[in-house]
This record gives sequence, structure tokens and C-alpha cells, in this order.
Amino acid sequence: MVGLSIGEKHFIKGGIAQDLRCDGRKRLSYRPLYVETGVIPQANGSARVRMGGTDVIASVKAELGKPSRLQPDKGKVSIYVDCSPLSTPLFQGRGGEELSAELSVALQLCLLGGKSGAGAGIDLSSLCIIDGKICWDLYIDGLVVSSNGNLLDALGAAIKAALSNTGIPKVHVAAAASNDEQPEVDISDEEFSQFDISLVPVIVTLTKVGRHYIVDATTEEESQMSSAVSVSVNRKGHICGLSKRGGAGLDPSIILDMISVAKHVSEQFTNQLDSEIAAAEAREDE
Amino acid sequence: MGELMASYLSEPIEAPITAEEQKPRTSQGEKPPLPPSSEEKQEIELRGLGSDGRAWLGCSFEKFGERCEYEGKERMRRVELSLNQTQKLRLQRALQKLESLSSKANSDASVTVADNIPVNYDDGVLKGHGTSELDGQVVATLCGVVERVNKLVYVRSLRSRYKPDTGDIIVGRVVEVAQKRWKIDINANQDAVLMLSSMNMPDKIQRRRTAVDELNMRNIFEECDVICAEVRNLQHDGTIQLQARSEKYGKLDRGQLLTVPCYLVKRRKQHFHQLEQYGVTLVLGCNGFIWVGEHINVNAEDSMLEDQLNKPPENIDAKTNIFDEGDQTHTELETRQNICRIANAVRVLSTLGFTITIEVIVEILDLSKSLNLNIHDMLGAEFCVLVAEREAGRRSLSTKRKG
Repeated sequence: MVGLSIGEKHFIKGGIAQDLRCDGRKRLSYRPLYVETGVIPQANGSARVRMGGTDVIASVKAELGKPSRLQPDKGKVSIYVDCSPLSTPLFQGRGGEELSAELSVALQLCLLGGKSGAGAGIDLSSLCIIDGKICWDLYIDGLVVSSNGNLLDALGAAIKAALSNTGIPKVHVAAAASNDEQPEVDISDEEFSQFDISLVPVIVTLTKVGRHYIVDATTEEESQMSSAVSVSVNRKGHICGLSKRGGAGLDPSIILDMISVAKHVSEQFTNQLDSEIAAAEAREDE
Repeated sequence: MGELMASYLSEPIEAPITAEEQKPRTSQGEKPPLPPSSEEKQEIELRGLGSDGRAWLGCSFEKFGERCEYEGKERMRRVELSLNQTQKLRLQRALQKLESLSSKANSDASVTVADNIPVNYDDGVLKGHGTSELDGQVVATLCGVVERVNKLVYVRSLRSRYKPDTGDIIVGRVVEVAQKRWKIDINANQDAVLMLSSMNMPDKIQRRRTAVDELNMRNIFEECDVICAEVRNLQHDGTIQLQARSEKYGKLDRGQLLTVPCYLVKRRKQHFHQLEQYGVTLVLGCNGFIWVGEHINVNAEDSMLEDQLNKPPENIDAKTNIFDEGDQTHTELETRQNICRIANAVRVLSTLGFTITIEVIVEILDLSKSLNLNIHDMLGAEFCVLVAEREAGRRSLSTKRKG
């Protein structure tokens, strides 16, 4: 990508200081959000989220697997993000790998909680079918179709929408299997259980430009940032994850301030996202 | 794409489109044709209106009934907005009105893939870009406008990179500072070249460029700077030469650069617009780059005087403001609001696919102000629909007046 001239940089920074950004937004307002669900028929659940020029797709694929020995009562979830070279030529070849890895890790931190699976935004114990024997493995894949900043929030929203779209088949376990053998299972083709997404957090990234911080930064604004803090907040207002990017350090008091702002912003964003998801599902049913 | 195109091309072999079949097509009004006259410039984008490549392909499928409906959906999808049901209807109605307004003359000028291009075989035909021969007939392989130069027949596609023309005023971004020249990205097939010798020097003296000038090129333009210039000529190898031999050309500062599809900006007499009542400078580059910036008085003498007077205090300011960032809030809030409003007006026009002219931009600006609309809400669905309806009304009025 070509950089910005000094005049443009000053214009962006000045706009953020004056609370009027280049597209007329205030510091804490989002671009219009658009959600589409069920975009990939082969997946168990999928969604596409557009925020201005940013366009991402998330899909959820459920497979039967064996729980890990450390957490026999929990299912497994893996998140992987791919940056399509369609979005910018920068992602060609191995160019997108670094960003993909960064986004994957940030999403795992924000949605899956700690290594032990505690504090996960996604309820892992509901994925377990038989303790220590069978569980659902969820493969969540994100694809960046077109990138204009704020990828993490968009991916978070897309994953939430995809999970709400996900139907996990009901499983009937043949009884009377001995302790060592793997029990036989029968996957239903008709009955699906819906995923509960009420506690899946949304991610709010606050990008610090100059002295102020903004939500939903575009690529141009992100190029001027000193640091960015991503906070994932669930509906109850609890912080589920936190990650920071960018070279410059932050004063702890600023981080606390940012967290409280993010919590406040997340309320509106969650409501907006939920209503968009509901609208998208209504459209799909038509 | 190759496969896809082949399948379209093979269509006429199975069911050759006869002249009778073709006629009702145009009369259905599904394919808004192009007028030949001066009005042409204004109307071409009507075809492009949401009906770029994909929608055009939809047209060529008309004999399959179900595809007709598909085209309508496709068009709505091109306009990337989340519309509710009534807004969808209103937009559809406005678009239909716009299509019906476009004149029906010269209907064979616009073609889609696999359309026949009528030619006079007696004179001999040279098939150019975007055409192919099939069953002894010339067939278009692109969606666009048929152009004829003597024997040559070619299709100029609507959605493509910018094709420069001598004398076009363009806005570009400096990619590289090379020997005696700047390489400039102007959204064309290759980067344009601006020679140091085709620039007015800052000291405004006509003289040979010395080696010292060459070393100081970065004082004029640096990498990433946004500049405006004029296309000087096109060389046979495709190199694009630029020139900036006037006061009005040069670096653009304090503002934002927007990119729109280049077919939305038509070549006109005026591309520089000083909207003094708003304090905004607007440069509509023919290459689809549009600069919206703060209005700066171009009175050269004044600014030079000011420079000299201001120099000592500025230096002190710079020192104290390093941590203050005070120098970044130069743009006044009111001016900035106008800049953002104008930029959003351009964005609305670009999503709708309407030609971008200064009159329409100012009209949208006034509309949004009279509605007391929030600047960011200008990008919302409601305002877009409103603008489309307004445009339909405006064009119907202007055609009535002519009629």
C-alpha cells in the first residue's frame, strides 16, 4: 500500500483531535454494519460481515473428535484466520501470514480464554458428548475478503454471527459400550441444536491516535496509530479478553480508561450486532 | 473467466439470435441504449449504473425467464447498501425512471458479452480490442461501448483502469523519486512520469535544471505526496508523460484523497473548483482520484511574504508544539465539516454510480445541509435513496425542458 502524504496525515490526526473524522464520524461511532448469514452451505454455520470497506467471512465446521486428556469434559475449538490476497496485493504469497497469525492469536485470546479453557466466551462444556470419549471439535475459519481497517472487530462479529447460525446435529449414543471401547454414535440429519451466543463476547478495538482513541479505525487511521487495545466484552459487561498491539507503550491509567470506554461502546455495538444478526436470519428464512 | 466467456460465446451456436429476436429485446427497455449526441457523456453511466460486468451478463441471459429477475437482484447488490423494503422499492423506481429517461437512439453502441456488432462487411473490417469473430459475425467479448475509427471496430469497456488522454487533468500520488523525474501512480496501467524539466521551479525562473536542482527534488515532491498535473503526451511504448507548468498544478496539502471508478469523472473545462463560500478546494481528477482539501489562497506573493514574516515565530512554535500536536489542528472545524460533507457527497455518488460533477456535488451538499443531516448519516441508505430520487427528478426536468 502506498503511504499517506504529510498533509493527509495531519488532516487525519487533526480530524481525530477535533472529533470529526474523514468520513464524518465521531471518535466513538462505527461505520454501518451489515450481516449476512448462511453464506457457505457446506459449513455448519457461516456469516459475512461488512463494515464500510472491510468485508470478512467466518465459517464454523463441527466434527466429532476426542477430548484432550487434560480437559475430558470439554470440546475443542480452534480459530484460524486467512487473509485473502484478493483484499490487497500485500497479502500475496506469504505476505498475509504474519497478519493471519496475529489475528488468529488475538481472536483465540479474546474468545477462548485461558489454556485450561476457563473463562471462554464460547461454552466448551456444551460441546462434550461423553466425558473423555467424544466431543465436538469446532473449526472456526475466518477469511478477510477485503480489508479497510478494524479487521479484528469485524472478525469477532462475524464469528459471533456464524456461531448463532450454527446448528450442531443431535447425537444419539448407542448405550452399553464398555469402558475402553469407543461408543457408537448416530448423528441426526434432521435435529439440530442451536448454539447459545448470548454470552459470546464482541471485540472492541480502541486505536490511539495522538492523544485520543477511536473505534472502528480505517486503514488510513490505523497507519497513524501509536497503539491499539482490543477488549472483548460480553453482554453482561464482563471483560473476556484483552490484547494490545502497536509499538508505543501506554500508561496504565489510560488502559483503564480505555477499558471503561470499550465497555460502554460494546453495549451499543452488541445491541446493533444482535439486531443485525436477527435481521439477517429473518432474511435467510424468507 | 475464459471458461465463462466461452460458454457465453457458444450460446449463439446452439440458438443463433436472429434479428427478430433481438428487436423485442431493446423495446422491452431492459437494455437502456446510448444516445449519440452531447448528451451521451451524461448518459453512459446510466448503463454503468449498477450494471457493470455482472449485471450486463444478466441482460444477455434474457431468454431464460428466471434470469431476468436475477438481473434486478444483481443490480441491487452492486449498490452496497443495507436497504429496507420501502427503500428498495423507491431505489428501484428511481433507477427505472433514470433508465427510461436515457435516450433510445444509437442503441447498438452499447454491447454486452456475446452481442453482435453490426458492421458493413463491404468496406472491410478490422477487429479491435474486445471483439471476436463467430459464424462470420463480429461479436463483443467485453461489456462496453462500441467505438469505430475508419475500418477499426473495438469495444471500450466501462470498468477498467484509467486510460490517459493528452490534456487530462489528473490527481496522483508520487511513488518514486528517480533521476530527473518523479514516478506517479495515476490508476493507469503503468505509473506516469513527471520530468523535472516539465515542472515550474519554485523560484519561478525559466532556466536549465542543474544538478543541484536534481538533488533538491525532494523539496518539491516527496514520496507519497499527492499532486495534480496534466497529461502531456502518451508515448508509443505506453509511457505517460505529465507536466505541471502552471501555478494551479503542484502539491495538494491538508485534505483527503478519494478514489472513485474513473468513468464517473468526465473531462470538462473545469476540474479545479475553489468553493470559497465553504473554504474548500475540490480537484476532480480525470483518473478517478478526487481531492477534497482546505482552500488555500493561491496568491503567490502574499504567501511568500507571509512565509518570510512568519518564519521566526513558526520555528519557536514548532519547538513548543512537538509534544503539543497543536500544528495538526490547523483546519478549522467549520471548514473540516464542509470537507467531510463534500467527501461524503462524492462517496454517495460513487456508490450510486452517478457522474460526478461540481453541480451535483453542491446540490447534494445543500440537500444534506437543508435536511440538517449528520455528516456521517450521508452515507446511510436513506440519503442514498433520496439522492437517487432527486437525480431522477432533475434529469426528467432537464429532458422535458429540452423536449
